[in-house]
Parts: sequence; structure tokens; C-alpha cells
Amino acid sequence: MQQFFIVLCLVLMVVAGGAAVMLRSMLKSTISLGVASALLAAVLFLLGAFWAAIFELSVCSGLITVVFVSAVSLTNSDRKDEEHVKEHRARVAALPAILIFAGASLLFILFSHDFNIVISSTPASFAAFKEALWSLRQSDILGQIIAILAGTFAVIVLFKERDNI
Amino acid sequence: MNIVSAIILTAALLMIIAGMFCLVRTYNLIRIIIAIEIAMKAITLLLVFAGAVNGNMALSQTFVITMIVIEVIVAVVAAGIAISLYHKNGNVDIRELTNLKG
Repeated sequence: MQQFFIVLCLVLMVVAGGAAVMLRSMLKSTISLGVASALLAAVLFLLGAFWAAIFELSVCSGLITVVFVSAVSLTNSDRKDEEHVKEHRARVAALPAILIFAGASLLFILFSHDFNIVISSTPASFAAFKEALWSLRQSDILGQIIAILAGTFAVIVLFKERDNI
Repeated sequence: MNIVSAIILTAALLMIIAGMFCLVRTYNLIRIIIAIEIAMKAITLLLVFAGAVNGNMALSQTFVITMIVIEVIVAVVAAGIAISLYHKNGNVDIRELTNLKG
């Protein structure tokens, strides 16, 4: 039953991802991306990656969706895109065929060969996760702090008043 | 043959293809960020899949958390660039990004 839900969430995630690319409205694309993130969070949860699922759901499905909706509202790109409906439709028209062909090809290759990767999913204990995050990957924490500061600085530079220049 | 493993790999590949296709075919900066996010979702899935196969889920989750942080920073900075571009040019076409120099 768990495998069925994983497969269902994966199929819906690919559909939502494709819709995010295909849809003409930027707002609908953003919402599709948020749905894809939420479905990915469900897959991560079913695979036993609980903390990654929580981060994915709260940050990617929540925060990034809000950032994109704000950006779409501030740039009026939803309205502008309506003027280029035919152009966008022509540009992405081939995507469904490419996705179906690539998916069918890969599944055929995997099924026709002796593909045997078995998921031995055992959820990590909190102690193991804490050890990996704070002891084993301390450099990652430092890198994350530096990246956040760099991002903050970039946003400040982008929106600073032009009078001071 | 583990069907779930095959479908996870296929779904990840399809998400990467969708993201790359959108990257190549569009000039809208916000749509380009969405394409990057879609491709990064696939990488997140592959990282957790690798952890599930190797039985080292704790380590893979730390990588996923690092990736999510970087994903947010990329999205926020790119959204800021899109807003700046819109204020300057009235659209978010990346072909006009050269006007931002200086």
C-alpha cells in the first residue's frame, strides 16, 4: 500500500512539474510548482526522510511559493504573458511528447535489463540525524550561513536607493 | 526488479527534462527560476533515493537541507533580479538583462 502511494505521488509530481512549465498563466505555474513540492514532501516522508520532508513542505512548498507569487504580482508578468499566449504555447508544445517518449524509453530499458536496486528504507533516528548534521557536516552549516549572508547582501544591493550612488 | 526504484528514477529524469526544456525554450526570468526549481526537486528526490538505497538516510537528509537552503537563496535573489529588471524595462525578458550592467 505504501508503494502504491509513493508511485501515485511521483506520477502526480511529474504532472504538476510539467504543468508548471506548460501553463500560460504565471500564477498557475507557481501554484503547480508548490503542489509538486508538496507531493515531493509526501514522497520523502513515505521514504523515511522525515526532516527533509518537513523542510521541503515548509520552505519549498510554502516560502518559495510565496516569493514567486510576490514576484509575479510585482512584475505583472501574468498579464504580460497573456499577450504572448500563442508564442508560449508553440514553444512548449513538444514537452508532453518528449516526456512520454523519455519516460517510456527509460522504463523499457529498466524493465528489459536486470535492474535491481532495492530500497532498504529505514528511517534515521534523531540521534543519527543530529550526529550527521552537527558533527559530520559542520562545513555544510558554515556554508549555509555564508550563503544566507551572501543572499541577504545581494537583495540589499538589488533594492538599495539609487540616490546614494 | 523493484518497481518503485524504477519509477523514482524515471520521475526524476522526467522532472530534469521538463526543467531543462523550459530553461532552453523560454525567455521569461520567473519561468526560468521555476524551471531551475523543478530540476532541483528531481535532485532532492535522487539524494533521498540514494540514502534509502544505501541505508544512510541521516546523511542524505543533511545534504537535502543544504540544497533547500541554496534553493531558497537562488529563488529569492533571482526574484529580486526579476523585479529590478521589470522596474527598469517593464518586462522580465532575459534578453534585456544586459541593460542592468553598470
